[in-house]
Amino acid sequence: MDNTLKDLESNLETLTPRGLSDLGRENCHQLIDQLVVEYEISTKNLNRGYGGWKGSAAAAAVALGIGISGGWFLGGDRTSSLDVEDKKSGEAADVLAFEHLDHETWILATESPNVYVTKSGEIREISREVEVTEEVVQHRESGLVVTIETTDHHVVDAPKSDF
Amino acid sequence: MSFDGVNLGETWREWLEESAPRLLAYARARCNDAQEAEDLLQDALIKLWGYQKEREYRPPDLPLAFSVMRYLALDRGRRKGRREKRDQKIIQFQSGEDHWLDPTLEDAEEAELLRKEVEALPDKLREALTLKIWGGLTFAEIGRVLKISHNTAASRYRYALEQLQQKLNYLKSIKNG
Repeated sequence: MDNTLKDLESNLETLTPRGLSDLGRENCHQLIDQLVVEYEISTKNLNRGYGGWKGSAAAAAVALGIGISGGWFLGGDRTSSLDVEDKKSGEAADVLAFEHLDHETWILATESPNVYVTKSGEIREISREVEVTEEVVQHRESGLVVTIETTDHHVVDAPKSDF
Repeated sequence: MSFDGVNLGETWREWLEESAPRLLAYARARCNDAQEAEDLLQDALIKLWGYQKEREYRPPDLPLAFSVMRYLALDRGRRKGRREKRDQKIIQFQSGEDHWLDPTLEDAEEAELLRKEVEALPDKLREALTLKIWGGLTFAEIGRVLKISHNTAASRYRYALEQLQQKLNYLKSIKNG
């Protein structure tokens, strides 16, 4: 490039492009705020979804505890239900009060897997399945038999091995 | 690194503050007026936000931003009709009221002349010139944005400079009698 064009290039560089107008800037900032709000909502929903899984597991544990405690209550010393609720569910003494008679687990439902590609290029498939566990326990003292059914939702994420 | 909402908003605002003049210069090289260029920039913001989802919503690099703006401008152009757009553009360039470059040269008259001639360049040449001078892209990046080879990008840039130089020489010779 000859010097004339280089000078022209330098002159062009001194022409500075105009920025956003005040209104344009305000509109863009509002737009960014909206996008951030949507991002936060979607992030919260995602966390709530995850919390939901944890919540289900916690609920199942509580149900198991109440079931065991309830069994103890039904065959026990006929104290009020409030007394039962006051006892911490799942304590070792409560668990030892029951004998495990049977335990069975099966998959209730499985959805078709979705195939996706990770950033590193790995092909994986993801699906959800519902697992049901049935436990039959007997209260040692009263002889009462209790069946406890728990439902667990799992996300199955595994490499796709074949097509 | 992941962002919370406040940081994310701040980061994008900073990015916009820094990049807006460059992006707007390109938008103005493709649009009829300042308002349309700003609308294009806002449309691009939304698109870029979506594109950056997989990158933890980090603001994009400039070549990607220019590519998105180009795509959106083409889309707008298709919708509005090129002929109508070109006719309007000629009228607006001639009106001299709505410029997208601020002259800061000491010789304001020459700067004014330069600005008018840049605006009057053929679209393809002005696009390459804008991306190089005010977009700050390399020829390889310009090539990727415009979907042409880097040699073609360099040629268009050079033609743009040559045409500008010829025009300026001609106008100066007229002025000097």
